[in-house]
Amino acid sequence: MDNPPRTMKARLIGIDDLLRARPRVVVGSALGPRQIILIMIAFGFVYGAVMGSFGGVTGERFWQVVYSATKVPLLLTLTFAISLPSFFIINTILGLRDDFAKALRALVATQAALTVVLASFAPFTALWYASSSDYQSALLFNTLMFGSASITAQLLLLRLYRPLIARNPRHRVMVRLWLVIYAFVGIQMGWVLRPFIGSPDVATTFFRQGAWGNAYVEVAHIIMRVLGW
Amino acid sequence: MIKWFKQLDGILRGDATRMSALKEGRIETPIGGISVVTVFLGATYGICMGAYAVIRTGGADHDAYMQMLASAVKLPLLFFLTLLVTLPSLYVFNALVGSRLSVVSVIRLLIAMLGVMLSVLAAFGPIIVFFSVSTESYPFMKLLNVLIAAMAGVLGLAFLLKTLHRLVLVQEVIDTPQQFLEAVDEDQDVEDDELLTDNPAGVLDPVGEGTSNRARSVFRVWVVVFSLVGAQMSWVLRPFIGKPDMPFTWFRERDSNFFIDVLDAIAKLFGA
Repeated sequence: MDNPPRTMKARLIGIDDLLRARPRVVVGSALGPRQIILIMIAFGFVYGAVMGSFGGVTGERFWQVVYSATKVPLLLTLTFAISLPSFFIINTILGLRDDFAKALRALVATQAALTVVLASFAPFTALWYASSSDYQSALLFNTLMFGSASITAQLLLLRLYRPLIARNPRHRVMVRLWLVIYAFVGIQMGWVLRPFIGSPDVATTFFRQGAWGNAYVEVAHIIMRVLGW
Repeated sequence: MIKWFKQLDGILRGDATRMSALKEGRIETPIGGISVVTVFLGATYGICMGAYAVIRTGGADHDAYMQMLASAVKLPLLFFLTLLVTLPSLYVFNALVGSRLSVVSVIRLLIAMLGVMLSVLAAFGPIIVFFSVSTESYPFMKLLNVLIAAMAGVLGLAFLLKTLHRLVLVQEVIDTPQQFLEAVDEDQDVEDDELLTDNPAGVLDPVGEGTSNRARSVFRVWVVVFSLVGAQMSWVLRPFIGKPDMPFTWFRERDSNFFIDVLDAIAKLFGA
């Protein structure tokens, strides 16, 4: 804190290290847990704010911007926290406890990287909003952005995991299991925390009225309807 | 209590079932402490299962809390009763094939197995609670619980078979006459020595190539029996989650079976 410019620079270099999957990200990194959390909140906030600006930023719609900005970091943090215990226990049973600190650092770093990637997509979303006011296509566009950012982050996770897999091939099983658990919880979390964009026909609320429900049950019903059963 | 958790942790990490720890040909995990911790973990998962009933009724219904309590009691019971039902035949067949595993060793091994299973279950507790908060669909909750229990079961049974494999290997080393071992010593770098080293591997690591063994086939068959009995035991002890339109009862009528109901739940989930 005594030398703010230097810390700021160090922080930016840290983010760069993170994106390049430098080994020091996993082995006692330039980024402490506090910085990683700050990155997650700050960059998640940026994308969330842009995402929530669909209906405008004035009047009541301003609150949608604030809500969405809060919800993106919330979505990632809650999903992470809920998925972690099972990941920890299965790691232990597979005999990988000694590497767990490193694995955890890789996972947390990936979370931060995901928000950085998302934030870098924010201008695209803004451009899309500026060119079209169709709610459905906005929904689809954001899904696309989230999907691309997630895939990018998972590729980064695989790179961060490479030294661990070299130590013990069983880490490969674990990293796949993590993706399954994380996606399973994350999809439902995204569903529960709706609305992120804010339908123009509905009043601005933090949670959507009657939005409580299960994404997978909805999907099962849609499949059935499409098949005409 | 913390000491007991550390003992369970030792089992999970594989410290308690390392080749060097099994040197005497028996497993030394303490039964009492592990059992208490296992019951505690089971009750924790039971509470998570019961959360569906409480959250669905908005926490105002007395019956829902009874369901939560019942699940917390019944979940550890499910696992210990399954063990109780399958233990006599395991003991008889284990003795019939002339296995050198003593009864105490077998029981210790099985309690350790329950410890592994219920640790995995409890670790999935937060996910169950999260889905309980946001899900109305009863068939979905049922299937999710079956899936998680199956996962815990597979990991626990895998632990059992691997540990057994190690025990048999150790005993083969012990049973081999000393002169033979010395002869082998001169011929090649003894593998047996390697087997007994302090190998920091996980509980599921394969150790060496084992010879076929009748005791092991008994356990392989028993694993299947345990899974089937466990599934049906969960049916006998139902309800765990609490069907939304039914009043709370400790047990339900004798009716149908586990496997038919799972198929039924899948059909219901897809709206059939």
